Amino acid sequence: MNFKMKALVAGVVLGFSMSGMAAEPIKIGVSGPFTGGSAPMGVSMRDGVRLAVSEINAKGGVLGRKIELVERDDEAKNERGVQVAQELINKERVVATVGYINTGVALASQRFYQQAKIPVMNNVATGSIVTKQFANQPENYIFRNSANDTIQSAMIVEEAIGRRGFKKPAILADSTNYGQLGREDLEKVLDKKGVKPVVVEKYNIGDVDMTAQLLRAKQAGADVVLTYGIGPELAQIANGMQKLGWKVPIVGSWTLAMANFIDNAGKNGDGTRMPQTFIQNPDTPKRKAFIDAYVKAYNPPGGRMPSAVSAAQGYDSVYLLAAAIQQAGSTEGPKIAAALEDLKTPVEGVVTTYNKPYTHTDHEAINFENTKFGEVKDGRVVQAK
Amino acid sequence: MEILLQLVVSGIALGMIYAVIAFGYQLTFATSGTLNFGQGEALMLGALVGLSLVGTIHGGPYLGYWLMIPIVVAFGALQGVFVEWIAVRPAIRIKSEFGWIMSTIALAIIFKNVAENIWGKDVLPFPSPLSSEPFTVLGANVQPMQVAVIVGALAIMFAVEIFNRKSIYGKAVVATANDRDAAGLMGINTGMVITFSYALSSATAAFAGALIAPLTLTSATMGASLGLKAFAVAIIGGLTSGMGAIVGGIILGIAETATGFYLSTGYKEVPGLVLLLLVLAVKPSGLFGKAAIKKV
Repeated sequence: MNFKMKALVAGVVLGFSMSGMAAEPIKIGVSGPFTGGSAPMGVSMRDGVRLAVSEINAKGGVLGRKIELVERDDEAKNERGVQVAQELINKERVVATVGYINTGVALASQRFYQQAKIPVMNNVATGSIVTKQFANQPENYIFRNSANDTIQSAMIVEEAIGRRGFKKPAILADSTNYGQLGREDLEKVLDKKGVKPVVVEKYNIGDVDMTAQLLRAKQAGADVVLTYGIGPELAQIANGMQKLGWKVPIVGSWTLAMANFIDNAGKNGDGTRMPQTFIQNPDTPKRKAFIDAYVKAYNPPGGRMPSAVSAAQGYDSVYLLAAAIQQAGSTEGPKIAAALEDLKTPVEGVVTTYNKPYTHTDHEAINFENTKFGEVKDGRVVQAK
Repeated sequence: MEILLQLVVSGIALGMIYAVIAFGYQLTFATSGTLNFGQGEALMLGALVGLSLVGTIHGGPYLGYWLMIPIVVAFGALQGVFVEWIAVRPAIRIKSEFGWIMSTIALAIIFKNVAENIWGKDVLPFPSPLSSEPFTVLGANVQPMQVAVIVGALAIMFAVEIFNRKSIYGKAVVATANDRDAAGLMGINTGMVITFSYALSSATAAFAGALIAPLTLTSATMGASLGLKAFAVAIIGGLTSGMGAIVGGIILGIAETATGFYLSTGYKEVPGLVLLLLVLAVKPSGLFGKAAIKKV
């Protein structure tokens, strides 16, 4: 090989490696439960995230770089979430992470991101304190685009007590962080309205018999059941009520829209109401495109998204993050966080159009205006009238 | 009064589920002195195989509910033979005191993982053969399926008892249960009898799975906690008594629902376990059990 040839080869190799450097993908972590009782939410969230990423990459990516997802199953377990967080930060070197379905997992895991100055977009977990865990620190790297429990509990109480005029609510919440923090929120709002729940009952994940809890509620003369839990056990509540021949309306947190509640409760779930940021209803062109793309890509049974809210919020979280990275012109955590707190251009999502969604002190993108009521009807969630 | 009755009815329906599984523990313990700690998984597999036949998940329904039952029972029997063959026989052959404990637990975990891969980790509804509309007895609401669970559980236990007492094969089982070595000397193929008792035990569990699935929900993880509670029932009632399984199951079931209502739902599981500790302290062979004399 003569010198010219060598120079040519070296030049080509160098050129390739440099272009390779320039187009190195931006790594974004995805952490959520893809197995277990929370899986319909986790998988839908992940699928929404994937859709958004493939759209963004098809248009050339962000800062001229493609987005690469690093997905990990946190199994809805706190300890697993912590492992995932450390792996994503230290080994995968993600620039940001989207996800967290379970409030407990979010609270246990996001401290590592806070320390590493890497932003987290909570796109499903709703516990009120999720974004306030580090609110006393000068910089807070925890953002959210789901309807938190302060909003949801207020809406649940307004619907049950304010609008429909029930006076004796019973609260049934599961024993997880999610259920118990939500129960506290519900009790606070009820207290402000001067209403005291007639009973407050607890149950465990995996319980197959709710007779005792429901009998206590029935005996106390409850006229509405307010719930905080996830799909399978919520279905046991609805089915248990039928077993006892006791029929009062159920109003509860958004998880009543999960496919594993709707399917397992069957007709016992009809009429159940819950706050929703997104309902599978193609009422705008953007939403129609999203729903069509989702159904086409993942082909859910019966064309019904297993957890439409999670998918939509997952989808939007990526667009919010991409907008911030674009604006920051950088993938450094502090710059992305600063850009998120001051987004110059509105971001059009499927839940809503985010116009300056975050400020330095407010890390919640969703408010009362973009949350509505859904109702279970014939195996689907529709807009409540 | 109505409340108490309601709690008792729900408790009995729940307790009978525990009782059938506990009965399965007793079957194998009697003949071989070993237990299948995967009894809960046998129930789970029975329920999920049944769901594949009558549900809409794997392109079904292929069969009606009642036609599905014998297939599930046959499947359960095969599964029991498999467990005995893989996990128990080697331990008995080398006269290992405790090897079967780990190997049956290991198989249980393997079954659960396999089930998670075939049926997924999500909770699935099981179509109910009977109307889910409850009817009222003296003010307590009872679902037809709850009655079916109670009747079905009692029926299978009586069927096994009658088989053991009346048929020549049953007598071989009883002989093996009384004294394995003597039975072997009398020409009874005790190895075969033990295999058979495992088949019977898993078959009853699989049957119970198909029976209770319309009431609970079906999932790969449904076996774990039911299997554990049933083990407590087997200890409370006594590992050598079929009657003990029924009474123990009913006691635990009613204790759970009643505590949940009268005390607190947070303590629902406590009284059953306290009872377990009490029985172990006062009458270790169980309420109906015969005291075992350990020959040294």
